[in-house]
Amino acid sequence: MTPNRTWRKALIALFVAIVAFTGYHAARTVSDAIYWNAHRDEPIEPWMTVGYVAHSYHVPPHILHAALGLPPRPDRRPLARISRDSGLSMTQIEAKLTNAIVHVRPPYPPPGPPPQPIRPSRSSSAAQ
Amino acid sequence: MTNQLLELLTTYGLPALFGAMVLAAVGMPFPSSLTLVAMGSFVAQGELSFWPVIFAGSAGAVVGDQIGYAFGRYGGRPLLAAVTKRIGGADKVKKAEAYSRKWAGWGIFFSRWLIGPLGPWINVTSGLTKYPWARFILLDVAGEVLWLLIYVSLGRAFSDQVQTIASLLGNLTWVIVGLLAAILLGWKLFGRSRSVSDDTG
Repeated sequence: MTPNRTWRKALIALFVAIVAFTGYHAARTVSDAIYWNAHRDEPIEPWMTVGYVAHSYHVPPHILHAALGLPPRPDRRPLARISRDSGLSMTQIEAKLTNAIVHVRPPYPPPGPPPQPIRPSRSSSAAQ
Repeated sequence: MTNQLLELLTTYGLPALFGAMVLAAVGMPFPSSLTLVAMGSFVAQGELSFWPVIFAGSAGAVVGDQIGYAFGRYGGRPLLAAVTKRIGGADKVKKAEAYSRKWAGWGIFFSRWLIGPLGPWINVTSGLTKYPWARFILLDVAGEVLWLLIYVSLGRAFSDQVQTIASLLGNLTWVIVGLLAAILLGWKLFGRSRSVSDDTG
């Protein structure tokens, strides 16, 4: 009788924990949905490529290549690799990218075309 | 750790995706939803093609699932037999096997894409309870392909917000798992026991 009661109490505690866990993740789902809907900029992470950052922030890639002092052609390396290869820290890379992004957005004039078109006009849909 | 793995994926593409999906299916903690959504984004950017991503990813996941199944069947069963021989309960194991054969199909299918975190466990228990392998692999392939299609397509459609989408999918999955667990446990606690004890609160 007593062990049965203890068992039941333990299960009720587990039930409460599960409900709390579910509630926590439901709240986070809602906050993600709001974040998504607001189209806020994603934080720059070491796994991202320069191309992905340009895509995510809706800026032409050549601007970001120039900001990091890279040649204006596709570069598939993740930022962490670029960081190791160039000797810049991730914080520095992030700062350079963010700075370049801020300076091509609305208060500033739109960016010009890439310096030397290595690839002939590849679907530049960022024309606004 | 997460970052290094994702870095390998962006560098090596499909072979890395295959390997990552094998490890994730075996049960290694790995941000597989972020990976798949990011792959979808690379598809949208024209760096990868859609179907090869689907193929490489689901192939990796299916291979990983077979490892889990084989582990349960060839590693777990002898162990279980040794335990039941010593402490008894072979009849209970038989009952569990019958139960599994009846219900595990749903578990296998849905744990591939809707309740992903349960996948590695269900692989092992399917092997352990000797769920027919032909049916296992059929449900497995169907579920994994569906998983890849849903996640990669979402990443492709919302290719500029990969992290937000992945986080949303991850949290939503845990909500579903949590709700399921709450319903099952709640039913066990408050549903059937009416006749035994009146009520507790």
